[in-house]
Amino acid sequence: MTSDKWEADETLIRLFQSVGRILLDKDLEDSHSGNISTLWKDAEGNEKIVITAAGSQKGDLEPNQICFLSPSETDYGYYKASSETDIHAKILSIPGVRAVIHAHTKELTIMTFDEEEKPNKPSPFIPIDSLGFYHLNGRIPVDWVEVPCGSPEMTRIIPERLAQHKIMVLQGHGTFSRGSTVKKALFHVCLANNSGYIARQAQKLDIDIHNLREKITQSPSSFFPYPPNTYEQYEGAAEKIEGEEEITEEFKKTAARIFKSNLSPFHTGSMSIRGVDKILYAPKASMPREIGGPILDLPLSLKSKEKDRELTIHKQIYEQTDFQTVIHCCIPEAEAVSYFVPPGREKPIDRVVPIDAEGSFFYLAIPILPPAFQSETFIRLLHDYKIVIIRGGGVWSVGEQSLSEALHHPSSLRDICLYILGAYERGLDISKLQPDKAKQW
Amino acid sequence: MKQGGVHKKLLEIDLTRSTVHTRRIKDRLLKDYIGGRALATRIFFDAVNPSCDPLSPENIVVIAASPLTGTTAPTAARGHMVFKSPLTGMIGSSNCGGSWAYYLKSAGYDIILIKGRSQKPALIDIKPESVKIGSAENIWGLNVHKTTDILTRKKKRARILCIGQAGENCVRFSSVMNDKNRAYGRGGPGAVFGSKHLKAIRVQGDKKTDIKKEEAFRAGKEQAEYIMKAAPITKRLLKELGTAGLIKLINLMEMLPHKNFQDNVHQDKDINEVSGEKIKKDLLKRPGACFGCPIACQRHTSVDGKTGEGPEYETLVMLGPQCGIYDLKSITKANYLCNELGLDSISMGGTTACVMELFEKGIINKQDTDGIPFLFGRSDMLEETIRRTAFREGIGDRISEGSYRFAELFHNPSYSMSVKKMEIPAYDPRSSFTQGLGYMTSPTGACHLRGGYAVSLAFFGGAKEIPRFSLLQSPIAIRNMQNLGIIQDSLGICRFTGFAFSTEPWSRMLSGVTGYEYSSGEFVQMAGRVAALERVFNLRAGLTYPDDSLPPRFSSQPITVQGQKTTLSQKAQSKMREDYYKARGWSVPEGIPSKKILESIELEEI
Repeated sequence: MTSDKWEADETLIRLFQSVGRILLDKDLEDSHSGNISTLWKDAEGNEKIVITAAGSQKGDLEPNQICFLSPSETDYGYYKASSETDIHAKILSIPGVRAVIHAHTKELTIMTFDEEEKPNKPSPFIPIDSLGFYHLNGRIPVDWVEVPCGSPEMTRIIPERLAQHKIMVLQGHGTFSRGSTVKKALFHVCLANNSGYIARQAQKLDIDIHNLREKITQSPSSFFPYPPNTYEQYEGAAEKIEGEEEITEEFKKTAARIFKSNLSPFHTGSMSIRGVDKILYAPKASMPREIGGPILDLPLSLKSKEKDRELTIHKQIYEQTDFQTVIHCCIPEAEAVSYFVPPGREKPIDRVVPIDAEGSFFYLAIPILPPAFQSETFIRLLHDYKIVIIRGGGVWSVGEQSLSEALHHPSSLRDICLYILGAYERGLDISKLQPDKAKQW
Repeated sequence: MKQGGVHKKLLEIDLTRSTVHTRRIKDRLLKDYIGGRALATRIFFDAVNPSCDPLSPENIVVIAASPLTGTTAPTAARGHMVFKSPLTGMIGSSNCGGSWAYYLKSAGYDIILIKGRSQKPALIDIKPESVKIGSAENIWGLNVHKTTDILTRKKKRARILCIGQAGENCVRFSSVMNDKNRAYGRGGPGAVFGSKHLKAIRVQGDKKTDIKKEEAFRAGKEQAEYIMKAAPITKRLLKELGTAGLIKLINLMEMLPHKNFQDNVHQDKDINEVSGEKIKKDLLKRPGACFGCPIACQRHTSVDGKTGEGPEYETLVMLGPQCGIYDLKSITKANYLCNELGLDSISMGGTTACVMELFEKGIINKQDTDGIPFLFGRSDMLEETIRRTAFREGIGDRISEGSYRFAELFHNPSYSMSVKKMEIPAYDPRSSFTQGLGYMTSPTGACHLRGGYAVSLAFFGGAKEIPRFSLLQSPIAIRNMQNLGIIQDSLGICRFTGFAFSTEPWSRMLSGVTGYEYSSGEFVQMAGRVAALERVFNLRAGLTYPDDSLPPRFSSQPITVQGQKTTLSQKAQSKMREDYYKARGWSVPEGIPSKKILESIELEEI
């Protein structure tokens, strides 16, 4: 390491601090685990590796715990930088890769344990949710290594995998993800762990996920007919609405709640408020306050071919109803519950019937539509329930007036699903817990 | 399938010919317009000449109950009355609690249409076995309470709808009362009754309202009751303090009008003197409820040996701080008198405040006011002013025409704080642009209920709260609030349920009662049709889009809200009005419903 001074870039340091905090808050690290790196050009145009310090608390990174290193130097073992710096450096040398995150993605790690004799080549992890399936190319490779911490074997295998994949699992340890930006690497981490979580919840409900994965792999489009937007689609767009400060704040508040309350993984989902002839649209509804995301001011009229299918649905809802706000998010618990096949039945449920007191009175039932659904049915259900689950397509909710109103529905739904999951896990008969009155609806 | 919840019977009464006909209401009409406001508006629209003189025999009054009325659906005992308003010259549309609508259903009818003019004071007596038009000469000239007492003597299950002396004298803002103190208050339905020499309608009977799918009905009902018990406004505030419990909060929001909307500045000690808490402490005898209502916001009170109901929030403010008065006893007595004489206390207060400002500005003087010094804060002249108004005595004759006509008489109509000549109620539109737009676009003039109870969005909306000053959100928000109001008025339910939930439990209950599968989406479509019918009626009656504006004070004279000098500028008004028209599918700038909308209400042209 030849760098003789600490270099400061406020924006970058803030980003590292934010991402570090998010990783900790989302339980993707323990207090000291994991690391974050990116390529960065200094004022003279020299490209450097910026990486978190070894043993630093990622949730409380100090500026001096963010190290600026020269990529041309071979001595990556500068005493303060991460012990896995050499792995990061190698990944960062892959064309197009400018950021790496190593995280202890517990949900995914749990779901990729196996009982095979070692050494072995573990099976890849196949997401059963649309976001994970599309954004992570349908499968996440899993590798076993003899020494799963800072070993030369890791330095060889992990970059190899990431040359082909956006994220990989080191069995029993966690994930390494890459991206063109730190945010995108974080996006991959969050999605992968979310996929692991969904699969684990599905297993709790005795859903045959092996069979489900097989079917998904055979015919992805019948499970997930519509690919989500690419992460890059709205990169660099404005992050506030000029002249509508209060509404901008509403967006930010709602986005932060969606993110913090795990109603949709980082930078997924979408939300909007309509005016008479325009739509204020946040294409990445799950936005931590400190990182933010795009908020756009667009015409309300529906183009014959919108590039963004989510935006099309927002506009269609407005075209056919009087609602003023729409939120789309991907609640992991709802994704799992939507595949639930009650004992003695052959097909998955077509409605979630709340078993908790508040849920059952606010929502006698919440409908579930199949992946390819009729627009007319969807609109009618939105009118009558204000929230609709699309199996494999997230959750849509609406508000007559405010974003807060539209937010309440998915937030309640997550609670409702958690109660169902918990009760089933305890071995209780869900059908006996459902109120009789719900059977009317 | 036979539809539940209705008798399918319309009672048509011609007072000129003294005839009564019972007509069957078509199934499709009932399905498409449900009941209450929607059904009454459609029937009124098809039956009346929009250019008629509101006080002529040509005017028609339609009163409707809903399929939910007569069931145990919470709050669902409200009736709706539609007429051409003598105050505004536009459609009059007024909703009332109490129990009269429930008894109309018990008598075996869903809706009444009254036309013509009786030669002598008339009483309509409706029972399941007979409908009679009798003489009301013995009760003409009596106040509402005495009339009600006489007509219910030895008839415990009879309920009375009647006018007081204000209606008999065609005061343009006189009301029609039921259960003595519940009012079809705004727009002067009392004057229309008076012009027809119709003193009262008595209903009695024991007909049941059938429910087609009891389980489905109960599912929606239990859901509604649960949420109402959970929501703080329906659970506590209205029950414990009545609507007057709002006064401190509205003041805190800098929305409480003062001295004819000249400002919004009040002393805390003054507000304490007229608060819901003060009423509870000093005047309350017991709370009460409309038929089938778990909210129970009624206040049965007494003052200086007199008993009555109220005052409610609007009355309290309009006869109180709006006139610079903070004397609770005087306001309460004035409120009692308005109820007894049958006067809309909002317009009464608004017109009095206007006269006070004209007096203080020197535009009128004692010669114009029968020697009464109309000064802000003079609580001692309230009751006498009300009495003179009801009897059209002296200055009362001019006041009885409403604030706009009064101020216009003295060449200063801009001192009338009214829209379409109806006095603005007790929420300052500069403090909530959404509410301002509601006043502007209300089909009946400045009514917080028909215009969309938007003020609730500013601080009682819970999850529905929206920014108070958003030009982007206000047009859609107010359209949606107005639509919700139309739906509530058509289901015969109370606005206050909206503090707890929107339409979902109602669609379940209505589906259970009628046997049809109603979706909330159909409710919204129905609301759009009703709004269009009301608009078309008004356009035919002579409305033009500049009528959808606030008085100049609100764009030129700022008040302080959240530390900022605030007005609702003409430009902002125009922008919101145009966006509101667009949101409704009406033309800009005229506000004419589109051809597609006209087709949906079976009209080809305006």
